[in-house]
Amino acid sequence: MKKFFAVAAAATLVLAGCVETKSEKEAGGVSESGTDEKPVIEVLGMASNEQDMNIVRDQLLKNGFEVNLNIQPDYGSFTSQKDAGNYDVAVSSWTTVTGNPDYAVRGLFKSDGASSVIADEKLDELIDAASAVTGDEAVEAYKAVEELLVFDQAYIAPLYISNKAQGIYSAAVNPDTVRLSKSRAQAWEKISFNDESLNASETLVLHQAIGSLTSLDPIKANDGSINTLNTNMYSRLVNLTDEDEVVAEDSLSYNFAMTEDNSNYYFILRDDINFAAVENGAAVDTGDLVSAEDVVFSLNRAKDPESVPDHRTYSLHENMETVEVVTDLAELESATTPDGESVLEALSNELPADITTLVASEDEVDNAAGNYQVVKVTTTQPFPQVLNYLAHQSGGIVSEQQVSSINTFDVASYDPNSDIAYGDQSTVTEGSSYDNHLFASGPYILVQKNDYEAQFVKNPAYRADSEYAPLIDKVNVRFIDDNDSALSALRNGEIHVLQTVPDTKYDVVSSDDNLTLKQADSNGVSYLQFNMSGRDVSESADLRKAVLYSINQQDFITYYQGNKKPAVSTVTPLVDTGLTFEADAEKVKEFLDAYAQ
Amino acid sequence: MKQITNDALRLKLSQEYRNAHFTWIFTALFALLFLVYSFDFSTQQVRLPVVIFFVIYAVTALYVVFLTKRIRNDVIRKGEVQKRTRLLAYPLLLTIGAGNIFASGFAFALVSRNQTPEYTFASYALLTQLFVIGVSAFNLFKPYVVDTFLLAMGLLLVAALLYAVMIVLTARFVTAESAPKWMLIPGIILLFSLFIGNFFGFLLGYSLIKKARSKNPSSVEKWHTMWLKITRNTMAIFGMFFITFIFSLSVVSEWIFDYDFATQNNYSAILQNPSLEYPLGTDDFGRDLFSRIVFGAQISLIVGFASTVLPALVGGTLGAISGYFGRTTDSVIMRLLDILYAIPGILLAIAIIAAFGANTVNLIIALSVGAIPTYARTMRATVMQLSNFEFVEAARALGASDASIIFKQIVPNSLAPMIVKATLTIGGAVIATSSLSFLGLGIEPHIPEWGNILKVGSTYLETHSYVAIFPGICIMLLVLSFNFFGDGLRDALDPKTN
Repeated sequence: MKKFFAVAAAATLVLAGCVETKSEKEAGGVSESGTDEKPVIEVLGMASNEQDMNIVRDQLLKNGFEVNLNIQPDYGSFTSQKDAGNYDVAVSSWTTVTGNPDYAVRGLFKSDGASSVIADEKLDELIDAASAVTGDEAVEAYKAVEELLVFDQAYIAPLYISNKAQGIYSAAVNPDTVRLSKSRAQAWEKISFNDESLNASETLVLHQAIGSLTSLDPIKANDGSINTLNTNMYSRLVNLTDEDEVVAEDSLSYNFAMTEDNSNYYFILRDDINFAAVENGAAVDTGDLVSAEDVVFSLNRAKDPESVPDHRTYSLHENMETVEVVTDLAELESATTPDGESVLEALSNELPADITTLVASEDEVDNAAGNYQVVKVTTTQPFPQVLNYLAHQSGGIVSEQQVSSINTFDVASYDPNSDIAYGDQSTVTEGSSYDNHLFASGPYILVQKNDYEAQFVKNPAYRADSEYAPLIDKVNVRFIDDNDSALSALRNGEIHVLQTVPDTKYDVVSSDDNLTLKQADSNGVSYLQFNMSGRDVSESADLRKAVLYSINQQDFITYYQGNKKPAVSTVTPLVDTGLTFEADAEKVKEFLDAYAQ
Repeated sequence: MKQITNDALRLKLSQEYRNAHFTWIFTALFALLFLVYSFDFSTQQVRLPVVIFFVIYAVTALYVVFLTKRIRNDVIRKGEVQKRTRLLAYPLLLTIGAGNIFASGFAFALVSRNQTPEYTFASYALLTQLFVIGVSAFNLFKPYVVDTFLLAMGLLLVAALLYAVMIVLTARFVTAESAPKWMLIPGIILLFSLFIGNFFGFLLGYSLIKKARSKNPSSVEKWHTMWLKITRNTMAIFGMFFITFIFSLSVVSEWIFDYDFATQNNYSAILQNPSLEYPLGTDDFGRDLFSRIVFGAQISLIVGFASTVLPALVGGTLGAISGYFGRTTDSVIMRLLDILYAIPGILLAIAIIAAFGANTVNLIIALSVGAIPTYARTMRATVMQLSNFEFVEAARALGASDASIIFKQIVPNSLAPMIVKATLTIGGAVIATSSLSFLGLGIEPHIPEWGNILKVGSTYLETHSYVAIFPGICIMLLVLSFNFFGDGLRDALDPKTN
């Protein structure tokens, strides 16, 4: 027994020599400075952002903060917590669907912005000034915005820019025909099956998370439930390319031009798109040309907050002063573009026939004979980014005749129980309320929907018999709320395209022989929004900056396996201002000390 | 013909033979599992450590088959297991080194003729202790250990030594009826086992004290028969072993494991496969799964126990009052509880969590409230039956107050069904805790809890399946263990079989 104890004691000694304890390890490193009271930061976020919140929590803890998490299960309860002010920082995200930097700051950070908690006159001025300029001037202007917003005042702390990842069931659908754009909603008309003979018979099945459609009137909604649907149901004056350039391609106009004072915009319209309607479950050509009258009508109601009850996109279009049909050819000749050529020259590029007359009435339109319609938009102040808003789904062209005949109620006394507005989802939902009154100017039209899916058919009068006509006849949009279930549906071919593959499932998609993974940049930025009223962080810029410099974006990028990019603000994906943000533990200490005094 | 049936009956009655059968089958199953896992089909490579484990388990299985044959011969020819066969079980004790609890447990049962519950307690106390030490020792592969690590490990080793000594002592001196008086001293020392979570050690201590004092032979006999039944029930004892193991591990983890490994993100070690430094791999934040699961056991057990004990107390009291007084009292209490009973438990829990926020206390309350009616019903039924018995009449005739009749006469006699019910529902409570965390309604996501870990794992099920598999196995085994133990307890306490 004695022997045993001797051996045991010896073994313990040897063991103790080999093992390094925690305090020994920490004594070797830098010791924690001071044990005075740590500032407490309450982090608010949604359960779906749990990962981001955890990384923020970990980084703040390591930089000497105390952290409370306030995790809300859904967006609704998140917003109500935010409105109640129960947070120091809120994990927020923003996607600039219009692809222009003004949209990325105006609503978020201007004093009167719809979702702004910041009130800083200097910032307001900078944002306004930046919106009026283009090119290098704009880069400088947005750099000034970012410097004030992030580095001087730390109103927000940037986390990362997301990537887009699209999964395509390439066993059936030709992946080369499926676009993945930075901002633009998915365009359906170019998608084709691998076997093109199937385009007329087979149904293309797409996916959308939300099945309750806010409104099919383009100006009455601006959210994930209709963005893609309305984009494909209505034509616009211009479109965005996959890289967010404004072009006339696939739009209602042949060409467009801006005058050199950045205030007047001209669009020359095509005559090969008619409105489609649904009769007996099939799309028919109404014979009604999508004309300049419809454009003027559509844009005028877009910029008028009183044009419809519950106007949701007025703020995007308030910069338009007038919209009119141009009949005087001399006006086009005299106006010049920033490049120095005349507007007429800019508009004449690759037309079916040279412009001979500008007509006012749609009855006289005949492009082949040289009779064109031109629409002119004037902005309240120089505002080149108006083009991005016209490319947004809310700039979609609706039929003047049809919308006027449906929206006969008085807007001021609108009663949602008895009055049915144009685009109300009840009119396309199967059942007794079904009464499809939609007039579509885009490549597809919605026939009917239920909670399971929405059925679209192609517009027979959309650039018919040209190579631009929609390729696939029938498109169904399946509503699957849970992204992981949607991925399963994609993997067994139940849906053909999944627009957002979950961050953690890229491997799964790329290793599946039936699927193709496409990745692209996005305008989605995640950031921490500081609470600007009633909290310690609201009063002290030092405390905010201490939090700001605790954020290490590299950790986020590592966690997301390299599928995120560093950001400075919501503007970063749109304008490269040359600014970069780096975490700095030393600065955190400095600012914390400054805060403590 | 008669000979054969006699043989079959003898074999059926032989505890050793049944145990042997069970042991070789389970060992062979594990060997098979190791064999399947020993080849990595994706890289076409052999996993050498797994092959070694396979060989050890396969050899053990063959050895146990050989022992089974010998026991069979012994039982049929001599009527009981012979000393030589028992000697052959000694090498089998070494299987503890390979973590084979079935074979080592069987070995302990076979080497001694003494089959008192105390002997079983002592041997399983040692087994549990060695398992805890073995698992804790993995911390040596970490970059550093907590300051208290060496001291705590030393204490655990001392405890293991004590249990080893007790195995020999109990095998020698303890009988079914009594233990020598001097056993009081080790008995009292063993009670301290509770501080390292070793239930077996605690039970051994309590049992020794009871037998050494030998004041009330009938109570000693009752105690002895009950535990004899449980310890002879192989599944129940393994259930108890696993519960004790997890409990003990979660108690000692405070001094042996570093909480930082379980909660602090380490971006340089994201989603690592199992290795010596990370025995169960790491999760998507680079946190050590092994430490997370060990610390997660604390919450699972605390919430599991608390949300069983709380409704058992409340429901038991309400049920006892209701059953004893009857009439209006009964109607009022039971109808109110019926209303509560009509609401699905998990929905009620979700509603409570959503209203009051997620933390451990709220979680316990949320899970408890829904379980009250079932306990009340069980208690009420037993009390109604008991309150008509003569001894209650007698107490009443002697002028005892209602309260004293209920709590001194009736309740102690109606505890058995409550205990069985509680044990069987702890498993459900553990699952409910994990389910709520899995749904994001339980404990904050960075805090290690089995449901939380499983939730992370579910995301990586296809690419890094171990993140989900290990917490899944833990939840499954713990719930199974409670159910097996509960079954054993029910069999032991069932008046019909007494």
